Order: sequence, then C-alpha cells, then structure tokens
Amino acid sequence: MDRPSLGDGRRRVDFLADGLRRALHLLLAGDAEVLGITLLTLKIALVATAIACVLGIPAGFVLATRPFWGRRAALTVVNTALAFPTVVVGLLLFGLLSRRGPLGGLGLLYTWQAIVVGDVLLALPIAAALSAAAVQGVDPRFRRTAETLGAGPWRSAWTVAREARFGLATVVTAAFGQCTAEVGAALIVGGNIRGQTRTLTTAVALYTGQGDFGLALALGCILLLLALLVNVALQALQGPGRA
Amino acid sequence: MLELRGVRQRYEGRTVLELDHFTVAHGAIVAIVGPNGSGKSTLLRLAALLEAPSAGEVWLDGRRAPRTAAARRRVTLVEQRPVLFRGSVRENLEFGLRMRGTGRAELEARVEAVARQFAIGGLLNRARRELSEGEIQRVAVARAVVLEPDVLLLDEPASSADRAAALQLYQTLQEERRRRGLTICLASHQLEDAYRWSDDLRALADGRIVPISPENLFRVELPAGSPEVARHVRVGPVEIAVATERTGPAILAVPPSDIILSRAPVATSARNVFSGRVTRLVRPRPGLVHVTADVGIELVAAVTEEAVRELDLVPGGPVTCAFKASAVRVF
Repeated sequence: MDRPSLGDGRRRVDFLADGLRRALHLLLAGDAEVLGITLLTLKIALVATAIACVLGIPAGFVLATRPFWGRRAALTVVNTALAFPTVVVGLLLFGLLSRRGPLGGLGLLYTWQAIVVGDVLLALPIAAALSAAAVQGVDPRFRRTAETLGAGPWRSAWTVAREARFGLATVVTAAFGQCTAEVGAALIVGGNIRGQTRTLTTAVALYTGQGDFGLALALGCILLLLALLVNVALQALQGPGRA
Repeated sequence: MLELRGVRQRYEGRTVLELDHFTVAHGAIVAIVGPNGSGKSTLLRLAALLEAPSAGEVWLDGRRAPRTAAARRRVTLVEQRPVLFRGSVRENLEFGLRMRGTGRAELEARVEAVARQFAIGGLLNRARRELSEGEIQRVAVARAVVLEPDVLLLDEPASSADRAAALQLYQTLQEERRRRGLTICLASHQLEDAYRWSDDLRALADGRIVPISPENLFRVELPAGSPEVARHVRVGPVEIAVATERTGPAILAVPPSDIILSRAPVATSARNVFSGRVTRLVRPRPGLVHVTADVGIELVAAVTEEAVRELDLVPGGPVTCAFKASAVRVF
C-alpha cells in the first residue's frame, strides 16, 4: 500500500485554499446564481420560521401552563418529534404531495412551498418544545401577579412572554437554524431544481458531489453568515441587559 | 364581604387547607398568623381567585365569585416576596390601571398620588434590578393600592422591611382604609404587627383555623409512649412535657396566659421550666403585656403591667417560663 507523501499533504492544503479563494471571489463578485440561491433560502426559511413560531409558541404556552388530559403524552410526542430525521419527514411529505398521494391535487411537489411545508413540520416541534421549556422556566408569580392586577388570559400570557424573552428568542433562532440547515426534506420534496427550488444546503450537497468545492464552500459561508445575522438581529430586538 | 365557604385545597393528594367558613367583614383588617406551611399563602391565593379550590367556593358581597379577570379586579393580592415586571417602577404602577382602560390623565394622577402615599416618588424611573427587597415590596403594595380594590390581600407585606419602614407601610394602609373603607386580609409571621394593626386575628395551623391564640404554636412529631405519664416532645433544642394520648404529627399550643414568669427558677408543679432572656415587650392593649422570651425556642407569655414592673422584666434581662404539661394543647 502506498504511504501518503508530503506532496499529498500540500495538495490537500492547496485544494482547501483554492476553495476558500473561490468562495471569497464568488461572495465579493455578487454571483447571480449564488445570490438567487441565497434569496430563495432566506425566503423559505423566513416563511417557514414564521409559520412554525406562530403555531409552535402558543402550543408551547398551552403545554407549559394549561393542565389538560393527555398533556404529558403531548409533551412526549413533541419531544420525540424533535429527533425526527429530516429525510423521513421528506419521505412522508413526498408520499402526501406526489401525484398519487392524498394531497397530490395541490400540485406542490417540487415547489419552494413544498420545502416550506417540510421545514414547518421539522421546526414546529422545536418551537413548541423550546417555548414550553422557556415558559416553564418563568416564575409562576409573574402570571399570578398579572392576573391579580386585572390582566386577562392574553395579557397575562404576554407578560409571561416578556419575562421569557431570552428563551423565546432562542426558539426563533433554533427554528430558523433548522429551516436553513435542513437538507433531507428540501432535497426530496424540492427536487433541487436550478433557479426554482435550489437552496443553499441542497446546492452545497450537489456541488460537493460534482467536485466544485469552492462553490460549495462559498455557499456554506453564506449559510453561516445568515445564521450570524439572524442572531445579531434577535439580540438587538431583545433590548439591553437582563432587566 | 369576603367569604370562603367549605374550601379545601389539595396538592398531589395532600390536603393543605381545610376551611369550613372564613369571612372578612367589609372594612376590616384581619390578620392570619401561623407557622410556615400552615396554609396562609394558599388561603390568600384562593381568596384572590387565582387558584381553583379542590372543593368549596369564594364569595364576594354575598355572591359566588367566578375566577374571571372581572371578578379578580375587586380583589388584589400582594404575594410574599413579590415580583416586579420588566420596565420601570412607573410602568409597574401603571400596569393594572392600563388593564382597566384608565385614561392617560387619570392614570398619571393616580400613579403620582400613590407614589407620594408610599414615599416611592424617587424610584419611579428605576428598574427592578436597581431596587432593594424592601423597596420592591413597597412598590408591589403601591401597585395594588393604586387600583383601589375592594379587598387587599397581603402576604407578609413587611417581611423585607425594617421596623420603621414596616410602621410606615401599615400606617399608610390604615389611612387608605379610613379614606375609602378598604378591606384588608394579611398573613404575617410578625405577631406584633398582627396584634397592632388588625381588628381580628385568626390562627392557622396545618391548614385549619385553630380556636386558640396564635402564639406558641409548634409543629411536632408525638412519640409513642405510655399515656399515663407526661411525654417529652422535642421542639428545637428543648423538650416540652405534654399530657396526651396522641401520637404522630401534631401542633402543640401553649396559651400565653398559662405561662408563669419569674426572674429565676422556682419549685412548682409545672413540668415545663425554661430559663432564658426577654427579647421584647409588646402591649396589645393597656394593662396587658406580651413578653417574648428566648429560652431556646421563642415563648410568648401574657402578663399584667404590674407583673412586668415587679419582676423588672426588660429586654435582655433574665426570665424563667413555667407551664404545666396539662396546659399544652394538642391539635
């Protein structure tokens, strides 16, 4: 068996450096395809995060604060759904949306909306479970105080949400992270169609497979940059300090 | 005014409150006293319509009170160790008024007035992290009073305040009562405050109103033993002789009027003789003095002004408490 030589090591370093150089070039040059993929990814992630949070955060509140029959079972289901493999969700969704599936008539398969549906299914348990944990972490005196001062159920919930804002910001970040990083479902129900359903993650998978390491790396860098921007924006929204 | 009828509260199968009938008349100040875990806070939370009782009902002015936001606006609770919301003290004081849709001008006027009343004008623009525990407590009471509720429920309202601040707080509440007939129900560890500021005192032990004075209540575990002799029960660092046939968990009560004081131990038939120091003297009404003695545990004895003079009982001075085993009541 041949042993790797010093020359092999240098070639590997060159390969990485070339990739980084290409990534930087693509980012700075404002490549139209890269821009299109980025915008589509952002659109899908924002829509899916918004839907998942609008449905998931109230569900988390109910799970955390309302005693109802089957609450423990519901929490178990939600926590189990956290570990749902993305390809399995993609597969199930494919079955539902394919022409012969029960929702085939909607014509959603291989559209960006189908990726949104997949992302929502994956981010919803995250939003529900993390917001339930965030709300459970708030001292029950805050809700009681709001109620005794005359607040109705919605305003009491809002008061609790304000106290849990750091935890709830994490919910949004985690849901957004899931929506941007997910590749399995996006690949299966989106189809990775150039200019239509190609997202940053599916493109990274494709270009790596094709050996275009520089382009894949550039897209990976953008993915990281998006995550950073969302975190900075959320921190700014939370306001200063822990008052 | 406020009534709890047949109220029972159970948490995880354990009964923590059992009241057949508890009432607070309109304009009265009622103090609930009792040891930790006796059910005081649970009683107040139920009265504030914040919790559903396992059984029974809360009534206001002769009508059953539902647990709705509208009914809750008549009864306001200030919890033990209250919390302030995020934002300034002013925003906290405005919170309840906003919930009631109070107009801007009235809201500002009422906040200013209550800030003057509770001497917290200088704190209005501060956030909660900039306040001491005592200040938080004062702001929380002001936040409730500004709403002018019919009934104000206070759970240990002066627990973080020094004596001067506690005095000021109770004086302000008395003024508020005189001004508009406010009904107050307060839970307190401080018997001194309870006697001084309330019209009526209720002792709570293990979730039940006990028909005895609230001093000298001790939660104990009665050991099995011969009922013919007085049994010795450990209470903190001392052992109290008790004549009872009961075993298991119980509340011991030593009525203050059954405690005989002397400067030094004297030979009597009393099985319980403890020496220590006087910690304070309180005069609940003219001629009567409640002498608190630290004898390892805190004991309160009710004696006359004359006895205090003759025995020269002063804070820090020596005192011996004696009471018979048969004087100890078991619940």
